[in-house]
Amino acid sequence: MILIHPFAKPLRNGKENPKNYPYWEELVQELQKTMHIIQIGVEGEKQLVPDFRKNLSILELRHLLNECKTWIGVDSFFQHLAWDCQKPGIVLWSVSDPLIFGHKENTNLLKDRLYLAKNQFLWWDFTEHNPNAFVKPKEVLMCLNF
Amino acid sequence: MSKVLCSIPTRGRYFTTLPMVLQAVINQTWLPNKVIIFDDNDEPQDMRKEFIYQHLFQQMKVKGIEWEWLFADKKGQHHIHQKANLMGYDWVWRVDDDCIPEPTVLQSLYSHAIQIPNVGAVGGSIITGEPINAYQSTGLIKNIDSEPNIQWDFIKGIKEVEHLHCSFLYRAGVHDYNLGLSRVAHREETLFTFGLHQKGYKLLTVPYATSWHIKNPQGGIRSETKEEMFNHDEWVFRNFISYHGRTIVVLNGGLGDHIVFNHILPEIRNPIVFGCYPEIIKSRSIGEALSLFKDISQWDIYAKMDRWKWTDSLENAYRKMYL
Repeated sequence: MILIHPFAKPLRNGKENPKNYPYWEELVQELQKTMHIIQIGVEGEKQLVPDFRKNLSILELRHLLNECKTWIGVDSFFQHLAWDCQKPGIVLWSVSDPLIFGHKENTNLLKDRLYLAKNQFLWWDFTEHNPNAFVKPKEVLMCLNF
Repeated sequence: MSKVLCSIPTRGRYFTTLPMVLQAVINQTWLPNKVIIFDDNDEPQDMRKEFIYQHLFQQMKVKGIEWEWLFADKKGQHHIHQKANLMGYDWVWRVDDDCIPEPTVLQSLYSHAIQIPNVGAVGGSIITGEPINAYQSTGLIKNIDSEPNIQWDFIKGIKEVEHLHCSFLYRAGVHDYNLGLSRVAHREETLFTFGLHQKGYKLLTVPYATSWHIKNPQGGIRSETKEEMFNHDEWVFRNFISYHGRTIVVLNGGLGDHIVFNHILPEIRNPIVFGCYPEIIKSRSIGEALSLFKDISQWDIYAKMDRWKWTDSLENAYRKMYL
């Protein structure tokens, strides 16, 4: 079983969070062929797989992390929690800098540092979502060495 | 060679003590790189037209001191000092607009600041009229209500203290002024220097650095007399010093920030944590921190990382902030 944490916290201005990976459907379609996927998230987020567990407590998330083979997510609290649980996974980066906000224990997939926001320390509300800033699903799948 | 800024906030003293202060700064045996006058007057005037000021600025030019006259925001001198604190200088010599330094003040403050390791701030004697016998004063924060300030007397030897008063030289950019104080900014310098001490920097009182505090009743950066403002600031001050010996941690951030911070928590000396996610770190609420300290921006890790042009990890940014 693997976990996916597809969405970062919604922005206050209602726009798409620039850290949200745009190719989840395609990625999930491929992943589901060989493994069971549990989606982690909160009420209101788009459901990508049949097993969508919403609003879990930190304790429940820790339990799932201990159980799973690995996880795939965007830059959000979840990658820090998984690091804290010593469970390596894949982080799909775009505008935030993995050298600052990431953990070297994870596989940090950043397409190009050219897409990083100039100022890493402002609210993400001021940064536009750019699908081109992300790696494609094929590259993510190549990193899953099962 | 370190860069030193002389910062002078002023209000209501254009034609009384301000020119005396400027002349005294120009007459220092060791000169600052730049003098900035922060004009906090309700009706600011252009002093470049005034004969006396023309001469003072001419003297600065001859002596190679850069100068600038900036108009302040009328929010109180703590805002002015914070602006000076973040201007990119290594040291800031803050001088009141009615506090006249003797010629050796900056030389003495600076030489002690750079020759003694890990100094955060250095102050000299601040004499108002007659010196007050403070020979036995400790300069410890716990004795602030029971002893005369050590700087009110002539200082004869180097002494390590926990707070400074009025005019002093400080290491810039390593600690923030509390911007939650009222416009009178009562205790602002005590809070600021005590904060440097809490961060592990040495505070010193040193000899050969006497300034004469005229306490001109006209004007003054603290000329408002509303009692509630003083009470407000006193409340903030008392709350800060009640955590003497502890490291105040304020985590006004996201869940991920708390998780990362939790990894360095064991390295922090005697922490008291105010945070948002008690399920990650046992803490008191951010609302309580706001109530106690009024302004929590000095603990804003992202503002600090922006200021530091940070490229290392978030975890190490927290280390820089708290260790």
